[in-house]
Formats: sequence, structure tokens, C-alpha cells
Amino acid sequence: MSRSAKIFSTLKVTVLVTVLAGMAGCATTSDERDPRDPWEGFNRGAFEFNRGLDKAIVRPIAKLYHYVTPNFLEQGIENFVTNLSYPVTIVNLLLQGKFEDFGVSLGRFALNSTFGLAGLVDVASEQGIPRHNEDFGQTFAVWGWENSPFLMLPVLGPSTLRDGVGRIPEFYTDGVSIASNEFDRFEPLVANILTLRVNLFDLDDDLNEAADPYLLVRDAYLQSREFQITDGETELPDYDEFLDEQEDFEQAE
Amino acid sequence: MQVNHSMKVFGTAIFLSALVLGVWPAQQGYAQRDGVDFSAEPHALVTEISDTLFQSINANRADYRANPDQLDELVEDVFIPVLDRDFSARLILGKHGRGLSPAKIEAFGEALLDQLVSRYSDGLLEFDSRDQVKVLPLVGKNTERQTRVRTRIQLNDGDEAPVDYVLRKTEAGWKAFDVIIEGISYVATYRNQFGEEISKDGFDKVLSRLQSGALKLDKGKSDQG
Repeated sequence: MSRSAKIFSTLKVTVLVTVLAGMAGCATTSDERDPRDPWEGFNRGAFEFNRGLDKAIVRPIAKLYHYVTPNFLEQGIENFVTNLSYPVTIVNLLLQGKFEDFGVSLGRFALNSTFGLAGLVDVASEQGIPRHNEDFGQTFAVWGWENSPFLMLPVLGPSTLRDGVGRIPEFYTDGVSIASNEFDRFEPLVANILTLRVNLFDLDDDLNEAADPYLLVRDAYLQSREFQITDGETELPDYDEFLDEQEDFEQAE
Repeated sequence: MQVNHSMKVFGTAIFLSALVLGVWPAQQGYAQRDGVDFSAEPHALVTEISDTLFQSINANRADYRANPDQLDELVEDVFIPVLDRDFSARLILGKHGRGLSPAKIEAFGEALLDQLVSRYSDGLLEFDSRDQVKVLPLVGKNTERQTRVRTRIQLNDGDEAPVDYVLRKTEAGWKAFDVIIEGISYVATYRNQFGEEISKDGFDKVLSRLQSGALKLDKGKSDQG
């Protein structure tokens, strides 16, 4: 308990630093405001902070980890943390009333946790059992909290107010955070962060070369969340609105 | 966690974005034809394109590995006829395209495609089997003029990436103008990127940067493992 209190107070300091940085960044905010991003100034500050943290610490360590770890072991570790976090999906399938997927997912977790050697081997996937992807943010959206402002969380990355609130119950459901809070075991947390970062290496170039890296992350996040919330049944973008109305470019008619 | 996962899939699969590639019919026994039938309905069109591409890659994999320029050429040859490049360019430019000559818009679309092809086409060589890609049956709101074709791509680590293509009917038949990977639309995302850049630096500067950027990427292919 005292440990999580410590984590929270560290977070508080981080947030404070970022708010200040964000205020400093306000002046450079672009003129066209996106209604989904009312806190753009703060968010850009948090984004810069996160990128600095990444460049200085997280990415170099993840590079080293990726370099020294044999592939089969890295895959095993990824399977392990994915399985350990899977209760988040299971609980949220139940909360969204997807009972059949809930049952199958419970079976998946049991199978991987036992025959899959505590999750190191993803036997369930080998058996063709699908892996779902749900969390509390998605559940809140399904329950009706649909539009929520974009929020760049210091350290934790892109989110919305809704998805950020969703992280609180997740804290008590995710095996990775339970291990660190209740049992003082931080290995899964470290493994989780390294795995996430290694999986993002491919995107480093895209981000570095983007005209506006912050916008790229925001757009990609909001679109892919919409996709997850609707389980792939997202509406298409409004292409007609994208076209400049003054131009007449319709060939078909 | 989940979000980062989709960013990863986005990264792995984005090379498909300009390319509409590598698709294998979900129904077995689909009749193969020579070349591509441009009057084909969207579903069949996506399937045929990928057949053509996969055949060529399977036959010449070693050559393409040794000579990436040849692969870029193949990809462009196969895709250019079925892409509505100018329409994509118009959507991406939006109000910034106002008053630009058709030639400039064409140049923008061409430079954007060149860059995407030279950057991502080598990703195609990672695909060993057509079974890694399947086209799903059409569902949802599809009209006579606009259709979304859904595909699922099996990545080598076992994950599956949903990749959708959006096609529209033109005088020259159905053509693709957007790709949506895990819900992330290529047109919508680039629209914001270029919008920002063009308001800052103006269209001509952005265009010439895009054109020279394509050259640079061509020579120094990423060695990311």
C-alpha cells in the first residue's frame, strides 16, 4: 500500500512538471483547434516530456534488451506478460455482456497458465483460440461514455479522459500491476515495458519523420480506439467533407 | 497495452497501405485470369491484384531481395492502374488543394506514392504464403459508388492485422483511394500531417521535400530488424 502511495506521489510530481512544460508550450499551439483535443497545450507538453524520457532511458534499454535476448526467449516473455494482463480483457468481456467470448477467454487463460507454463507458451493461439482485446476504457464507451477529450498522460502515453479513468480499475485487475503492488515483484512490469517498447521500434522512423509527431500519435490513437470500441465496425471517414467544397471533382456523375 | 499493440500492427502493416497487396480469396477455387479485369467488382479486384503480385514475388523473391528497385517497379506497375491516386491526393490536400493546377496535384499524389512504395515494398518479401491473407465477404454499408473490402493479414508472430480498402467507382472502373489499418485511415492521418506542414511552409516547399525525400529513402533503406 505504501509503495503504491509512493508511486502516486512520484506521478504527482511528474504531472506538475508536465503541466508547467505544457503551459510553456501553449504559445506554439496551432491555430486550428480540434474539438476532440481541448487540452492541446498541456498534451503537447506531456508528449515532449514522454519523448525525452523515451530517448534518454526507455528506448536505449529496450534496444539493449532486444539485442541480447534470444528470439525464443523474447517471444516467451511477451507471451508471459500478455497472459498475465489477460484478466483485464476477461473482466471487461463480462462487463460488456459478451458472455460467449468471456467463456472462451477464461478457457484461454486457464490453458495458457497451466499447459502453457504460466503463459510462456501461447498454446491457446496454437489451438486456434482467438485473443480478444478489451479494457475498461472500451467498456465505459460501450456503456455510453462515447466522446472523451484526448489526454496525453505523462509517462503512460496517449489516452483520453475516459481511458485514463479506466486505468484505475485496470490497476487492480492487471496481473502485471498486481504483481508489483501486492507482491513487490517488479519483473513483470519491467518485462511489460520492454516488450511494449520493442514492438514499437518499427514506428520510430515514421514518428521521427512526421511533419507533426504529436498529431500523428493523436490521430492514430483516436482512430484505433474507435476501431477497438466498435470491434472493427467503425464508420468510414467522411470523405465528402475532406474534399474542398469549392472544387468539383466528381467524375462518376 | 492494447493501443501499443495496434501501433505495432500499424507499423508492420503500413507498407500495405499504398499497396493493396497480397490478398488471397477466402473462398477456395476462385478462377484465375490473365492480367487484371478492371471492370471487376471490388471484392474480385482486390483478390486479383494480390494474386498477380504474389505470383511474381514467389517466382522472383531472390532477385527482388538483391535488387529492391525492381520490386518497387513491380509494385507500382501492379497498383497504379487500380489506385485513384489523384482522388487520394485531393482528399489529403483538402482546402490546401484550392487553386492548384491539376498537374501539381498529380505530382503530389505521385510523390506520395513513390515514397510509400520505396519505403515499404520490401516488407512484402516477408510474406511466405498467400494463406497469410484473406479477403472477408462484404458487409455493412456498401453502395453502388463506394465499397469497403475487408481483409485480414496473418503476421509472422501470429497476430492478425485487419486491413480494409476503400474503393470508389470511376469512369475507368473501381479504384482504391484509402486503406484503413486497424481502424487507422491512411487518408485521414496524412491529411492532418500534410495540412499542418502546408500551412507552415506552403505547398511548393512540401512538394519538393516530398519529392526529394522519396529519393533519399530509396537509397538508404531502413535496416530495422
